[in-house]
Amino acid sequence: MSLGARARIFVMAAAWLIGLFLLLPGLITIPVSLNDTRWVRMPEEGLSLRHFEAMLYSSNWMTSMRESAVIALVATTLSVIIGTACAIGLWRVVGRTATLIGALVLTPMILPPIVSGLALYRAWVVLGLYDTWFGVILAHTILATPFVVITITTALSLIDPRLEQASRSLGASPRTTTLRVILPNIRAGILTSAVFAFIVSWDEIVVTLFVSSRAVYTLPRRMWDGIRESVDPTVAAVATSLIAATSILVIAVIIQQTRRGRAARAG
Amino acid sequence: MTTASTHQRQHTLALRGLTKRYGSLAAIDDVTLDVAPGEFLSLLGPSGSGKTSILMAIAGFVRPDSGDILLDGVRINELPPEKRNFGVVFQGYALFPHMPVRANIGYPLSVRGVPRAAIAERVERVLDLVQLGAFADRLPRQLSGGQQQRVALARALVFEPAVVLLDEPLSALDKKLRAELEIELKQLHARLGMTFVNVTHDQEEAMTMSDRIVILRDGRMVQAGRPSDLYDRPATRFVAEFLGRATFLEGTVERCEGDTLTVAVRGAPIRAMAASGAFVPGQTVILALRPERVSLANGSPASGGMNRIAGTVNSAAFMGMQHYYVADTPIGLIAALVPSFGIGPLRPIGAPITFTWPVNGAIPVGES
Amino acid sequence: MPAAILVGLLYLLPIGWLGLMSLGGPTEWTLRWYEQVATASGIHKILWTTARIVTITSLVALVLGYLVAYAMVHMNERQRLLITLCVLVPFWLSVLVRALAWLILLRNNGLINEALLNWGVIDEPLSLVRNELGVIIGMVHYMIPYAVFPLYGAMRGMDQSLLMAARSAGASPLRTFRDVFLPLTLPAVFGAGLLVFVFGLGFFITPAILGGGRIVMLSEYASLMVLQSARWGLAGALSVVLLASTLALIWMISRAVNLRRMLGGA
Repeated sequence: MSLGARARIFVMAAAWLIGLFLLLPGLITIPVSLNDTRWVRMPEEGLSLRHFEAMLYSSNWMTSMRESAVIALVATTLSVIIGTACAIGLWRVVGRTATLIGALVLTPMILPPIVSGLALYRAWVVLGLYDTWFGVILAHTILATPFVVITITTALSLIDPRLEQASRSLGASPRTTTLRVILPNIRAGILTSAVFAFIVSWDEIVVTLFVSSRAVYTLPRRMWDGIRESVDPTVAAVATSLIAATSILVIAVIIQQTRRGRAARAG
Repeated sequence: MTTASTHQRQHTLALRGLTKRYGSLAAIDDVTLDVAPGEFLSLLGPSGSGKTSILMAIAGFVRPDSGDILLDGVRINELPPEKRNFGVVFQGYALFPHMPVRANIGYPLSVRGVPRAAIAERVERVLDLVQLGAFADRLPRQLSGGQQQRVALARALVFEPAVVLLDEPLSALDKKLRAELEIELKQLHARLGMTFVNVTHDQEEAMTMSDRIVILRDGRMVQAGRPSDLYDRPATRFVAEFLGRATFLEGTVERCEGDTLTVAVRGAPIRAMAASGAFVPGQTVILALRPERVSLANGSPASGGMNRIAGTVNSAAFMGMQHYYVADTPIGLIAALVPSFGIGPLRPIGAPITFTWPVNGAIPVGES
Repeated sequence: MPAAILVGLLYLLPIGWLGLMSLGGPTEWTLRWYEQVATASGIHKILWTTARIVTITSLVALVLGYLVAYAMVHMNERQRLLITLCVLVPFWLSVLVRALAWLILLRNNGLINEALLNWGVIDEPLSLVRNELGVIIGMVHYMIPYAVFPLYGAMRGMDQSLLMAARSAGASPLRTFRDVFLPLTLPAVFGAGLLVFVFGLGFFITPAILGGGRIVMLSEYASLMVLQSARWGLAGALSVVLLASTLALIWMISRAVNLRRMLGGA
């Protein structure tokens, strides 16, 4: 409507080119990881899964993957519990203190990761958490909690605050109200926040570089070292696996939300 | 611009078989309409009747599927909005929030390359016209709703457009302000002599301001005419209901004597007026009876020119200048709006009441 | 809530401590690390490189993001879904994977150079990576989604009748864009620009991999100070500089958001 025909063609073409530019790196690793030579290149003669095989039979990669998964699962659980409690608390309490606490909880998301990394490195060494499982999990929990708080706050903002008043006036304690009225209404939000938290922890690299060295060796860390030494197709295979895993998680969340939305509309 | 407008050429706008479909739904369905030069025309209808679509098609924002839009006989279907030279007052005003009043009003002149000094002068004149001289340097959000409305109007008038299009110009204002601005807009129109096409869903607004009203329903024209003609002689039940209030009486024609019909409504003979020869005995007919044509009978027997029916009060409301009664009568529920002066206190529910109305008080209308 | 505070403290205290260390604490109090940041030419070069790269990448990402958001507003549902996917997929992808992919594409014997050599477009491989260009490409790629979302939100929320009003007042589509659309989206542009700038300042992984040690930005330099030479004071001072500029920018973002509310609240 507000575009001339020629301007419209230009804008659309540019947008699709940029879209392609955004998608390109994700797309390119897939054929590279499927090539049948031992170099990093596009497949010429044929496709092969040899690099995936190498990845699956490499105890190093598999150990790191397991470690990352465990850390991400525990950090997700912790950050969802803490973040949800915090978001509900902030939702109930309005005022200066709440705003301050809200800002405080969100800082790890905003500050440059290197600052977090250096600060936690120093502190963990002193506290004896350096290069321990608990130390890494705690660091990841700190970093993932803001994402949970934001997602849950969004979910809460869709709830009618009179719902809580109604529950309280019907005789429910704040605790019962939270458990039986509020939590069921933000189930989708909690699920989404868990996915976010998982991805944050699963992909976390900068802080991990500083708070761990050998005893805990997560997947991104191994990739980082792999890329720094030499790029080999196995790393591309790992990258492809990560792309697939991320895509599946994100798409699952989208499907879940669409279905929920549809059910809500139908009900 | 007041002096300029007297010399200004007046333009005719015409729609020929205009149609616009969205899927299977016709937003505009074969509308043919002539807008006379200098006329104040209102498109009136409920929401979804296609009135705004028609206005947006005239303005150039909705592309019709078929039919023509003609300005002074020239087809302008393909002309982009900025070339049409129509002043548009949008619903919600659409004032540019980042420009002060002066810049908002001057915008149409500035895009036309009018020199700065001339812009300033013409903006000043139109500001005086809408009595906003003191607010020229404020931003739109610093103005009240009524003031914003005037700025929008000023912006639409300043470049002396061929036609002024108004999309629900007063709908965002409260009732009292709306009544004031209706009069103001009407006076402004009379002073400028421009052609105005107004879209509204408010029948009072349409009747107060318009020279002519076009009633729309489901994208189609139902009836067009002067406000008083539409009110006194609604063609259909829909028009009678939409323009004012009415009670509908369904019956069978018993006799036609000249222009007077006698209609049997549930066995009671009711007399009404119709063009002679329009009805034949035995035909089913619907009569629309305006509540304000009904009065209370005060004991004196029925005179020859009056209908008379007795019943009991079903509901009663005191409305200041008037009493509003609905009575249960042998011919159904009948509403009456009677002046409150000199008729005593409001009658209680269940009390006996007798209504009368003149023979020309009930008008036969079409079904749809 | 108490747990959240605990976590917050567990995070904020170390940061405070880092600040203390930049002042030489807790043993000797000194400003010499800040002096060094302010005077040492090596550090000046790092700061200058960082500022330059972040400015360039923010501007490029902003322009490209504006184009994408503008196109999205004018698309039908299916096209919009498709381009949203294009934006979302890299948004969620690990920064490492993205840096790796660009490395595969851009390095001397990478896919782009090989393709160009094979087609005979060039005789010598172009140096696309381990230099500023590579870092800029990688960072722009990272930043675009962060620019697109707020811009799209602002454009989506724009009152269409304003654009129609400009057209019916006689303005061409281009003029309408310049006089109405652009000024009204400017606060969002400002906000999005600051947002990507903040992200850009803290970039670590992308410049480290695509810069190949030749282009060193602030974050990487601070990490080198600690990991290679254990100069905590200097690293602390650099962190504080980074922190202060980030917070200043965040404050400006919150102002920009207010500005937008003011303009939109007419």
